[in-house]
Amino acid sequence: MAILTWLESSSLSTWVREGETIWAFPTILTLHTFGMGLLVGAGAVIDLRLLGIGRRLTVGALRPMFGVMWGGFWLNLVTGSMLFAADATRRGTDPLFMTKLVFVAIGVSVIGLIRRNVFDAQEETAAVPYEKTLAALSLVAWTAAVTMGRLLAYV
Amino acid sequence: MGSLTIPHVHLLLNHVPTVGSVAALGLILLALARRDDHLLRASLEVLFVVALATLPVYLTGAAAGTAIEALDGVSVDAIRTHETAALLAFVWMQITGFIAWVALWQGRRLPHLPRASVGAVLLLSVITMGLMARAAAIGGEIRHPEILVGPAAAAAGAPTGWLTSATIAEFVSQYPWAWPAAEALHFLGLCLVLGVLLAVNLRVLGAMKPLSFAALHRLLPWGMLGFGLNLVTGMLFFVAAASQYTENIAFLWKVVFLVVTGAHFLYLTVFSGTWSLEVDADAAPLDKLVAAMGIGSWVGVIYWGRMLPFIGNAF
Repeated sequence: MAILTWLESSSLSTWVREGETIWAFPTILTLHTFGMGLLVGAGAVIDLRLLGIGRRLTVGALRPMFGVMWGGFWLNLVTGSMLFAADATRRGTDPLFMTKLVFVAIGVSVIGLIRRNVFDAQEETAAVPYEKTLAALSLVAWTAAVTMGRLLAYV
Repeated sequence: MGSLTIPHVHLLLNHVPTVGSVAALGLILLALARRDDHLLRASLEVLFVVALATLPVYLTGAAAGTAIEALDGVSVDAIRTHETAALLAFVWMQITGFIAWVALWQGRRLPHLPRASVGAVLLLSVITMGLMARAAAIGGEIRHPEILVGPAAAAAGAPTGWLTSATIAEFVSQYPWAWPAAEALHFLGLCLVLGVLLAVNLRVLGAMKPLSFAALHRLLPWGMLGFGLNLVTGMLFFVAAASQYTENIAFLWKVVFLVVTGAHFLYLTVFSGTWSLEVDADAAPLDKLVAAMGIGSWVGVIYWGRMLPFIGNAF
């Protein structure tokens, strides 16, 4: 596709891909790994709590973990876009990459649902019956997204 | 002062697991005889630290072997036999250290350490001590002909059995999915450790104050699960392709940070300054410093791990 070729040949993409400096591909990839750890790690803590781990943990008090997650999300949106642009013609037509994006989208949506229906609703209602389902769905989506992201290096 | 080489580090540290496991076992027996719960806790803490210190001992061994295998009078079979014995002892040492940690974690809320876990640690540490002594004895024979009475252990030839670096390397090359699968698990473990360390340490630093530290203490096994998962998958990489890591500066730094993270987990599990943090209480400045360093240690592990192929020479 012409747009992917254009994206890949842009000067930013070329720098990310071919820059002979630690600040190009290595640092962007490392930041992407940190973003993943923040997003998925903080998410896992919330999911585990909703699934019943550490009942003495007041759910609402874990709210700052959402800040950690959004920090990781935005970091990875930026670094992920750069990594995609550097390799656009291959990734843009790669079913594994597309599937990874689907799972990321599911994961982010579920985080939003947990935030709105479990955390923001906490004051009025005691517990949402489907919070465990959301938490399990979140864990599955992020496990799939991380696994596929990692496998991108091997296919 | 000459520069410190990796084989030298192996020689400096390699008595710690042997002497350490004997000392820890002695302390456990003494504590049980005296019915002294404080001493028992301390002895399990020593055991955990010894298990942690065993990590750099094993990881520097491959470089030490490479450095001397071409020398006159050094048998490659002797090195391989020592390596195999060391791997077995290492695995048991890590299991023992992990169960010691579980006992300490369970015991944090109890007046006494749970008997079942202490019994398991006692049994495991006897096995570990025996295997460690054996690995050390075989290792000594590589370069110390003066200790030999009769033929060296290596006279039996190259080691056999399923748990050798050769069989693990063969497994990884025979099943092409093994390495990527272990990498995926390694990254999931990374997330779990980071998530747990952030939740617990951000509380100490002053976020999420409506939570007591004791409540967050319940999350620690999930962090240790990630840590253990990454130890297993990481050892698969190292044992299968040691040459990628032995002369890799990024890997050396990664191991340094890894040992700090392990020590930080012990600190979070047993130290009383953080344990007594009630709802809305503010932590002492020193505990905040340790919390920040704990997060920083894992950030360092991730950074140096990710830089293995870029700053170091891993593929």
